[in-house]
Amino acid sequence: MSGAVMDEIVMDGLRIDGCTVAFGGLRAIDNVTLDIPGGTITALIGPNGSGKSTFVNMVSGQIPPVAGRVVLKGQPITGLRPDRIVHRGLARTYQVPKVPKELTIQEVISVPLLYARSDRPLPSGVRSAADLAHYCGLRPAVTTRCGQLSVSDLRRLEIARALACRPEVLLLDESMAGLSLEDTDQVIGLVREIHVLGVTVVVIEHVMRIIARLCQHAIVLNQGRLLAEGAPQRVLTDPDVREAYLGKGFTL
Amino acid sequence: MNAARLLNRLGFYAAVAAPFVVVAVAEHPFFVQIAIGVAVSAILALAWDILSRTGQVSLGHAAFFGMGGYGSALLTPVFGPVLGWAAGILLCGAVAVLLGAVTLRLRRLYFTIATLSFSLSIQVFILVTPDLTGGSTGIMPPVIAGGSPPHQLLFITACLVVAATVSDIFLGPRFRPAFFMIRNNPHLAAASGVPVTRLKILAFAVSGMVAGLAGACYAGLYGYVIPEDVFTTNWNVLPLAVTILGGMDTTLGPIIGAVALRALEEVARHFVGGVGYQVVYGAVIILFIVGMPVGLVGFARGLVRRRRKPAAEADTVKARLAS
Repeated sequence: MSGAVMDEIVMDGLRIDGCTVAFGGLRAIDNVTLDIPGGTITALIGPNGSGKSTFVNMVSGQIPPVAGRVVLKGQPITGLRPDRIVHRGLARTYQVPKVPKELTIQEVISVPLLYARSDRPLPSGVRSAADLAHYCGLRPAVTTRCGQLSVSDLRRLEIARALACRPEVLLLDESMAGLSLEDTDQVIGLVREIHVLGVTVVVIEHVMRIIARLCQHAIVLNQGRLLAEGAPQRVLTDPDVREAYLGKGFTL
Repeated sequence: MNAARLLNRLGFYAAVAAPFVVVAVAEHPFFVQIAIGVAVSAILALAWDILSRTGQVSLGHAAFFGMGGYGSALLTPVFGPVLGWAAGILLCGAVAVLLGAVTLRLRRLYFTIATLSFSLSIQVFILVTPDLTGGSTGIMPPVIAGGSPPHQLLFITACLVVAATVSDIFLGPRFRPAFFMIRNNPHLAAASGVPVTRLKILAFAVSGMVAGLAGACYAGLYGYVIPEDVFTTNWNVLPLAVTILGGMDTTLGPIIGAVALRALEEVARHFVGGVGYQVVYGAVIILFIVGMPVGLVGFARGLVRRRRKPAAEADTVKARLAS
């Protein structure tokens, strides 16, 4: 691959350049350098405590790195406030979405629609919070209060809220964890649709079945360090990755 | 805002103002004084509630209440009565912005303690600057409506409608969901593009100005105010008691709460002498947080809603106040 082509891909996507996040003496992210190519669905995997959620918090500005640069579409976003990073076109979901119980589905989605200034378009045919809820497969009425939603509906609401930010890069933090097979398939379908819209998607997941089906690129973190990156099939069969997940001497 | 909603709100303001106007027209001296007290409490409680919607529970609104009174007194000789009032209220907003910026990072209880300390230190500031503020001998703000109580009531009722309108703006689609998200989960709000800091300070500024309006009204009743009249714990606790009694996160709640608390005060005054009636503040706060955290208005709304479907959201307010 020539240098010019490589640069173009990086310009589109997200580049993490020598980033470190430290909590006291613990380096939750330890000098990580990686690229998330624009236009892909990329899997971010790793055992519990490997730094996946910290990675999302770092990229989205919630916990800025103590060293290194985060570059979105060629523009550095390191140290920007989280709401500014949203304006730049990067949105994230939360693994355990804590939404105000007294707000309705419609009100939650309306917040980014009002505040996440963006000239990027919504999916075609989507004009309102209600359309977006429908697009993300939320079946309850939009006037339903969040305190009454099931876990799978809260996950869909979280995706709808992040989509309402009209992102170019979307980080989904375990959006499918704990869902039934049927719900998981629906969310996978939704992620594919979002990808087709031209959104670069980063999926943080545990379930290998999902990664193999959904992603073109995979990144593995272990103890805050980059362990492997590349095509999912290759990464998932990597001996180092297997060892990190299962320990030495075990095979799948 | 669409026409139906606008009409709905205008009807609401008319319904709020009507009883006060009736009392003013009837010119019954006792009830005019009661109504003036209720309207001033309601304005102060609305101010407190606007701030609490962002999760900032203040015990220092006496500071803004007093500054509204003192500001109008000190600035009227400079700017005249109308601009003097406006400048006094803007001063409250400016101080609120500064206090809001300083207390931004404080969580819950620490924020509350900081506001309480602030109100105490403002009183000390007044006492140690007698040349500027009259010190302990007090100050003479402009008297509202030439000192005629029924006319004063009409004027303060107009101020109450202004405060209710401001409260409604911050319960509208632009602010309500964002404020509740900031209160419940500021990270989620920021991740939705909400400028959390800016909105918290905005809420503080608006709350400070509305509290200043209440204070200017109060100080203008007799044209004479000493620090102990306005910078007391009484005015710090009152908006909290009124709003919890009436119902948080609503415009009607603080107004109903002001009426209900005044009624309770009068009953208590009947049985306990002196300022002993103030015992109802503590009693109301404890009983309502434990037994009816949504307040009278929230309870009534719950009854209406329960006819359609069971609602379980009382826990939210309770959890917030308990923490």
